[in-house]
Amino acid sequence: MLMKPFLDMQFGERIITLMAALVLVLQIAVVAQRWIVTHIRIFAIQSFLLAMIAATIAWFNHAPHIYVAAALTLVVKVILVPILFERLVVRMDIREEIKPIINVPLSVVISGGLTLLGYVVAESFYKPDEPGLGHNELAVAISLFLIGFFTMINRRKALTQVLALLSLENGLFLAAISLTYGMPLIVELGILFDVLVAAMVLGILVYRIRESFESMDVSLLRRLRG
Amino acid sequence: MLLIALLLIPISTAAASYFARRREEMERANLTGFGLTFLIAIALAAQVLAHGTVSLANGFFYADALSALVILLTALVALVCATYSIGYLRDDQESGELGEEVEEQIAQLRMYSTLTPLFVFSMMFVAVANNLGVMWAAIEATTLVSVFLVTFYGKVTSLEAAWKYAIIGGVGLSMALFGTLVTYYAGHRLAGSDALAGLNWSVLAQHAELLDKTSMRLAFVLILMGYGTKAGLAPMHTWKPDAYSEAPVPSAAILSSAMLNCALYGLIRFYILTSRSLGTEYPSHLLLLFGLLSMGISVPFILVQKNYRRLLAYHTIDHSGIMVTALGLGGPLGTLGLMLHMTFHTIAKSLLFLCAGNVRQHFKTDLFSEIKGSVIRVMPLTGVIFLMAMLAIIGTPPFSLFQSEFLIVRAAFDGGHLLTGVLFVLFGTGVFAGALLHVGGMILGPKGDMPVAPRRPWRDGSLLALVTVLVVIGFWVPAPLLELIRGAAKVVSGQ
Repeated sequence: MLMKPFLDMQFGERIITLMAALVLVLQIAVVAQRWIVTHIRIFAIQSFLLAMIAATIAWFNHAPHIYVAAALTLVVKVILVPILFERLVVRMDIREEIKPIINVPLSVVISGGLTLLGYVVAESFYKPDEPGLGHNELAVAISLFLIGFFTMINRRKALTQVLALLSLENGLFLAAISLTYGMPLIVELGILFDVLVAAMVLGILVYRIRESFESMDVSLLRRLRG
Repeated sequence: MLLIALLLIPISTAAASYFARRREEMERANLTGFGLTFLIAIALAAQVLAHGTVSLANGFFYADALSALVILLTALVALVCATYSIGYLRDDQESGELGEEVEEQIAQLRMYSTLTPLFVFSMMFVAVANNLGVMWAAIEATTLVSVFLVTFYGKVTSLEAAWKYAIIGGVGLSMALFGTLVTYYAGHRLAGSDALAGLNWSVLAQHAELLDKTSMRLAFVLILMGYGTKAGLAPMHTWKPDAYSEAPVPSAAILSSAMLNCALYGLIRFYILTSRSLGTEYPSHLLLLFGLLSMGISVPFILVQKNYRRLLAYHTIDHSGIMVTALGLGGPLGTLGLMLHMTFHTIAKSLLFLCAGNVRQHFKTDLFSEIKGSVIRVMPLTGVIFLMAMLAIIGTPPFSLFQSEFLIVRAAFDGGHLLTGVLFVLFGTGVFAGALLHVGGMILGPKGDMPVAPRRPWRDGSLLALVTVLVVIGFWVPAPLLELIRGAAKVVSGQ
């Protein structure tokens, strides 16, 4: 009797929708706050939720290969990348983001608008008669992607831009599991490997930019023109 | 077997260079590795000509004429640049560009000779991967590996260039990944799609008409933006001049020819799927738009350019626009023009960068205005070859690029794309004037008082080899190569 809800498909979908909503809330929280360490932790929690969504899907659909993708996400995006970046922050002694180009309240409103856009786009994909997750998850995924883009434009610290780039990738991961229950395993492997290497490469670049420019403000990078 | 060897040899070359202690060992490892890669690329081309397609490991690796052509061109550029870089890096070491301490210099050389084979490895992987997701991962890997080639000299400006390259490339490739994902979705109801084969290009291409049409529309836009960023199409081209002018010259030569081919290769694979699913009209409009925009944007920058390495970079933007336009025109004529142009451009553009490297190392400047005295008197061989390659790349007859551009213009007028044809010729003329003005002045300018430069066997040898290829294929393309090019065009147009 106790196990019953955990076999019920609808219950599973409700859990997944709840977690996807949390992911979206976290993405908007990134836009609203200014501390880099907080940003890294939010990214870690967001990735953790995504891994949980993947695991839930694996459980309710009896698809063991999704567990592997979930476990890999956990290792790479919840543990390795945040540790790497927090160390970088400690070494460079940076705490606060400089003032964003668009102020915080307006940024949150814009993120809301982008979420709306995400829903409109997701609607055109939704086919009620097909198996697959509801359009909520896809809408959240597209919103993550768009808000990630917006953050990259709006923030000028190099590390924030890297984190925003990684949250774009989180949006893609969510889109992949909600559209097709994940890409083939080897593709997931390749993507996660690239994410890890990209985080390291960009981390090294951020560090060297900080050393040479005494700042992480990428708007200072304007010597090459024409 | 050949496909595996094509991947294993660059990897072992990288490992051998990484563990090498002396400069000579690294040079030998790179030269041997790329020599072998080139031989295998020829063998693969022969096999593809004989059998049509080659596949391995249940279709995980797959090569047809298109892949074989891209592989052959990559291997050629890699071999020539490996030869050239021996002389180039020795010169850098002597002039203190790599640091004062010997250990520091060796560390720099080790980085160069390890990253270059890894770079070539990832480009080979792009061309032999059948799974579109794996192909994406390989294209992303080409960016990640080459970022540290751009920062090779560790200057402030190279950091800036590398940052732009990594971030703009990263955003672009995330769009391409989205496109790949949507393509997977478009085909996920096909039989056997749950397994690995669901993203295999050869499977999707066979069932292209069954793909979900709405999804394919979205997928193609995302892919065009994504791989277009990697190919440097306007308006996503801004990383290109920076990265090309900051990287060491042999790396810039590889970036501007072989890596451009790889990005276009990714785009072409998706174009084939889209055109078989939706018809050619939809992708062709988008491609013509981006292609002509890239050609148009490069013209003013070429006309006012002060820095010759950036000039070459804008040329690459122009040519990537030309190739995308040719793809957009499609049909047997347009695709044949595209494949010929890809071949000729690869040779001419890498040659130009190598010449620019000689000029840069001798005159210690990147600016036209600071080169006192004519290049052709100070460095006769480099000067002559530079001028020839420049005439070739702007499409002067009798050089080869004239033929391919002529074919593309003909395809435009034959297909009724009048506006495209007119704009193509117009932009071509602008580029012609700008390039000839600057480079002609630099090479043939007034006599200065610089002494004649000494001979440089490694570099002169590689320049001579490449210019011979350039001149010969202008008049006579060897029959097997022509067959390969025609085969690649047929893969794209399906006719």
